[in-house]
Amino acid sequence: MRLGFPVKVLGQPGLKSHDTRRWQNRPHLSVSLAYLRDVFVYLSRQDIHMYRMASDLAPYAAHPEMRWFHGQIDECTKELAMVGKMAEKHGLRLSFHLSMSTVLNSPDESIARHSAAQVIAQARMLENMDLAAEAVLVTHVGGVYGDKESALGRFLERCEQLPDLSRRRLVVENDNSRFSVGDISRIHEETGVPLLFDYLHFHNYNPEDMSLTEALELCLQSWPQEVKPKIHFSSPRTGMRVVERRTTGSNDRSLLLRAPHSFQHSDFIDPFQFISFIRAAKRKNLRPFDVVLEAKAKDLALLHLREDLARLAPEIAFD
Amino acid sequence: MTENDLTREEPRVLVAVMNNHRDFRIAGEEGWYRVPYERAPSRLGADFLALYQTKAFGEERWAVNYYAPIRRYHIVSRRSLLPDEPDHPRADHLYYKIEIGALHRLPRPIPSRRLRRITFIPTTLDRLLRAQEINDLWFGDAVEEKLWQAFKENGISAERYYPLKEEEEAYQIDFALFCKDGRIAVILEGQTSVDNVSVVREQPRIDDYDLAARGWTVLRFPGLELIESLPSCLDRIQGAVAKQRGLSSEQWG
Repeated sequence: MRLGFPVKVLGQPGLKSHDTRRWQNRPHLSVSLAYLRDVFVYLSRQDIHMYRMASDLAPYAAHPEMRWFHGQIDECTKELAMVGKMAEKHGLRLSFHLSMSTVLNSPDESIARHSAAQVIAQARMLENMDLAAEAVLVTHVGGVYGDKESALGRFLERCEQLPDLSRRRLVVENDNSRFSVGDISRIHEETGVPLLFDYLHFHNYNPEDMSLTEALELCLQSWPQEVKPKIHFSSPRTGMRVVERRTTGSNDRSLLLRAPHSFQHSDFIDPFQFISFIRAAKRKNLRPFDVVLEAKAKDLALLHLREDLARLAPEIAFD
Repeated sequence: MTENDLTREEPRVLVAVMNNHRDFRIAGEEGWYRVPYERAPSRLGADFLALYQTKAFGEERWAVNYYAPIRRYHIVSRRSLLPDEPDHPRADHLYYKIEIGALHRLPRPIPSRRLRRITFIPTTLDRLLRAQEINDLWFGDAVEEKLWQAFKENGISAERYYPLKEEEEAYQIDFALFCKDGRIAVILEGQTSVDNVSVVREQPRIDDYDLAARGWTVLRFPGLELIESLPSCLDRIQGAVAKQRGLSSEQWG
């Protein structure tokens, strides 16, 4: 089982995930790829074999009004291929997670078109890196817009309209308030798109009252036999939140204490939850899978969990 | 998690060595710099490139004087970069061609106080514009930064990431102090942004016996000790410096 984490590296000062310059400063995909190469060097040193790349890796790659950025993926064919080779050499499983602004099922045609362009651009990068089918593109279904059936229908329709190369990389994830595991299983039935199980989202939104292993199995079985499934795992935040608020009409700021929400990620992973979850999957003999840890401490959370597992559940740590 | 040096997305700068006039002309007129693909530093990505000029540059030598925005990275063969050198032994090797914008002169040069080997230094734009000497450029974790600040406040002159070579392996000493009667290696241990998470460090660990054989007095400090009792750590370091008759001001280590 590979453990991975998303985007930002905290374990070494100075590592950036991508070129974050604004358009006026001419950001470039090749600069992002140089940053990504540095991240790979770090991952290799930490023996981490799964990583989610920044969704803005190619800056403004599908921005409808900044067409002068659109050629960067073609310009960087060689650099993408070299980064892909490096990932392969380190046994690194890569992925993208489409950003919140990518809403394939939007009732607004221009947003839907832009979203499809994002999917296509990111899929092209994975292709140009020459990555195996396990390098996927994760998306949520999107909004409900007052009519869940129509919203689901629009997602299915736009999914079918994507070019083959892009659709083959797409996987759909359950979210924490709109589309449950039961909802996304309909997408798989209609389109064959694999389902990505998110542990925290499942616990926050499970209207079908599925058991944990039932929902997990349903998602794992949706992946092609030759591709190892992956899932998202995070623990709910339990600590107090400190929120800064500005008084209307003045510069006064005050700090408020707030209880956490159950859908917020914690800084680290609760090792007991994680171990129980993995043991439950093993007891049911479910397909092996990889796990992306979604915690605020990013790679530090992964390294810490690895130490916890070695101490508390060596059979999982060394699986 | 709190917002700090680790998570801030400040513009990054790669300081690279410029050791001849031809390459300086290429950087200024043609707008590029090259790095061998196989020997690229572990942190190559940056928004700006700054140039540390070596002894070939007369009055501008041994200092960082210029920087430029990075426009693009290419991966190309040496042959296509320098077509007038088709018989070069590395003609077919791959290089990063770092395409840059116009060179800007820094408000003030950043000199190297001690003549030491410099290759690449990853830093931030803010540090580049504020640095008074090369050692201000390095970008360590919170514990390293705390000790560096304490050194500056107490007038302790140190070299950061001082390079050593042991057979084929390259090492760096976190802080090297050059004294009249010897040399002190201050090495921080187990330090990460989070004290009890083990991150594998960039440089392999060098044995104290090997350092002692090369004439170094070694002082190791766990990161937590430095955070909790900085004054007593500084006392130990200053005691060791005093035993070696104080810091030396000579340029060569």
